[in-house]
Amino acid sequence: MSRLQSSINTASADFRRNEAHNRRLVAEFRAKQEAARHSRPQRDLDRLARQQKMPQRKRIEMLLDPGTPFLELSSLAANMAYGGESPSASSIVGIGMVSGREVMIRADDPTVKGGAWYPLTVKKIVRALDIAMENRLPVVHLCDSAGGFLQLQSELFPDRYMGGRIFRNQSLLSKMGVKQLALVFGHCTAGGAYIPGLSDYSVIVRGTGAVFLGGPPLVKAATGEDVTVEELGGAEMHTSVSGTCDYPADSEEHAIEIGRDIVSQWDRLPRWEAQRETPEEPFYDPAEIYGIVPDDIKKAFDMREIIARIVDGSRFHEYKPNYGTTLVCGFANIWGFKVGILANNGVLFNDSSIKGAHFIELCNQNNTPLVFLQNITGYMVGREYERRGITKDGAKMIMAQSCSRVPKFTVMCNGSFGAGNYGMCGRAFDGRFLFSWPNHQIGVMGGDQAANTLAEVKANQMKRNGGAVDQSEIDRLWEETRKAYQEQLSAYHSTSELWDDGIIDPLDTRNALGVAISASLNAPLGPPGYGVFRF
Amino acid sequence: MVLKLDLDGTVHHLTILARRPHLVVSVDGRRHVVQGLDEAGDGSRQLTVDGEPLAFARAGSADGVIVRLDGRSFALRRLDAAAEASAAGGGANVVRAPMPGTVIVVHKRVGDSVQRGETIVTIESMKLQMKLDAPRDGEIAEIAAREGEGFDKDAVLARLAAPAEG
Repeated sequence: MSRLQSSINTASADFRRNEAHNRRLVAEFRAKQEAARHSRPQRDLDRLARQQKMPQRKRIEMLLDPGTPFLELSSLAANMAYGGESPSASSIVGIGMVSGREVMIRADDPTVKGGAWYPLTVKKIVRALDIAMENRLPVVHLCDSAGGFLQLQSELFPDRYMGGRIFRNQSLLSKMGVKQLALVFGHCTAGGAYIPGLSDYSVIVRGTGAVFLGGPPLVKAATGEDVTVEELGGAEMHTSVSGTCDYPADSEEHAIEIGRDIVSQWDRLPRWEAQRETPEEPFYDPAEIYGIVPDDIKKAFDMREIIARIVDGSRFHEYKPNYGTTLVCGFANIWGFKVGILANNGVLFNDSSIKGAHFIELCNQNNTPLVFLQNITGYMVGREYERRGITKDGAKMIMAQSCSRVPKFTVMCNGSFGAGNYGMCGRAFDGRFLFSWPNHQIGVMGGDQAANTLAEVKANQMKRNGGAVDQSEIDRLWEETRKAYQEQLSAYHSTSELWDDGIIDPLDTRNALGVAISASLNAPLGPPGYGVFRF
Repeated sequence: MVLKLDLDGTVHHLTILARRPHLVVSVDGRRHVVQGLDEAGDGSRQLTVDGEPLAFARAGSADGVIVRLDGRSFALRRLDAAAEASAAGGGANVVRAPMPGTVIVVHKRVGDSVQRGETIVTIESMKLQMKLDAPRDGEIAEIAAREGEGFDKDAVLARLAAPAEG
């Protein structure tokens, strides 16, 4: 594989302007992430200390093998919901190494409303368990939750992908032979009680850990019975009487020690043997990505320059370089893992769509995981393109992509608008992981386009109703629509709603993909095959 | 397979004719027998070419190998056939619209000299602004693009003067 030749001039005015812009965006992201991770009201931190509990991140740190990476997912989930009172959606989720095994770690956050689950907490937990199922990753639950946030129960309890899905996924994971361990540090109330209940192994801390369907206040209200937490669902009772939990621990540290020992007993399921070479750092400095991604979402840039700063040795074997040039396709290695990359260099035309579909088929034939680097404003529109069958050619790409058996990974490098999102493995297409850069925007159309469309509709309405068009009213509507739309398009809104697995600093793309690809190899490949391609 | 190698700016063609019992290569049509690649403890290496012993040292560089031999250093780089082919393309006289759209900025005027890769016009289509660059070094002979005006696919937006002979 030959090295990509970069044509970036790091001394140019464009580069410097972009760099300043993107560094500002990343600093803003880091500040939000830092606040979501560590900033809590003092009284909540004091309560934690009184209860002799460790902060949730300290628990994770102790659980992980020393010196190994932890890929945190969706660190800014719920950042634009509930008035910001549920940082990281009150739950920490990530992939790390425990006793030499890749595991999914999922931790409640007792510093926010006693670890209560908000609707987006449930969504985040369900997603974590979906990832565990798709990639056959064992799960360690760090339990400390008061249960569902009752004021919002209708948004977290009844539907298919709500509360019940957590326990359904837990059951199926166990059936698949993917192990789960629950470490009960605090309360597991109501639905939360089923987390240790459905885990294959569970450890409970004396004094602070408790598991019950109804806590003492609910029992009192329901039956009039007076009962203490310890009697109702404490460590002694559950490990010696009910058998709901397996091992009592004297402290949180002790529970973690027992937990690590349990994980070290687990068999290692066979991994899928992907093509692998010795990893090599990119030849070009990844920090230059900041100067390459433009300061305006409308400005195009060459995605090869990004590829050169993510892949091993900046080496890239480009497939069909002179055909369908708005979609760059080719092979490269990331942390030594062979991948097929599809990256947008403009609008998808007929030829680029067909090339993409063909390349996806090649990767499936060759057992090569797919990486999608999105910067897409859509498939080309207009008479000429419709006559050439742009819809059916786009459909070919969506068909090939949807039916892929190899793992897929998506990085939202910039814009993701319209149906281009579908062809390029958007959230709906079950990619194993999807990460966004802070500059990312997503929507059916851009903010200006939405405002123009609505302003036009409004003007026509005014004409029909009375004749005169009130231009100031139209302008106000335009500005309002654009503003509201712009907010919804932002990566922060996207990640708040868990439309991705987290915003990442562009510089971390290579590492995030490395962990994600490695995790994906735990699951065997499905059978090959596609539906009917429209020719 | 023929390997194309760049040795200090000169291209050489190398073909492996046999690997066993000895390595036999053809370099620019001349046949050589290479034997016994030994590594000495100090990082230097030794081999025989057509019976003559040859001592050298090598080190990897950013995009090739540096070979130290007879008190001199040589930079050796393998040329990639695919990369060479795509780099050789271009050189056209016109800048055409890759798709229908609108002209946003015209950066150059008739008579300006441009270098390959320099932006001549910026267009917008499908919510995306694209820069159309000079396909080669030259002088602008014609600018058909007008800021704010639309154009169809394949429309000629600018033209370079034909290169002067000699």
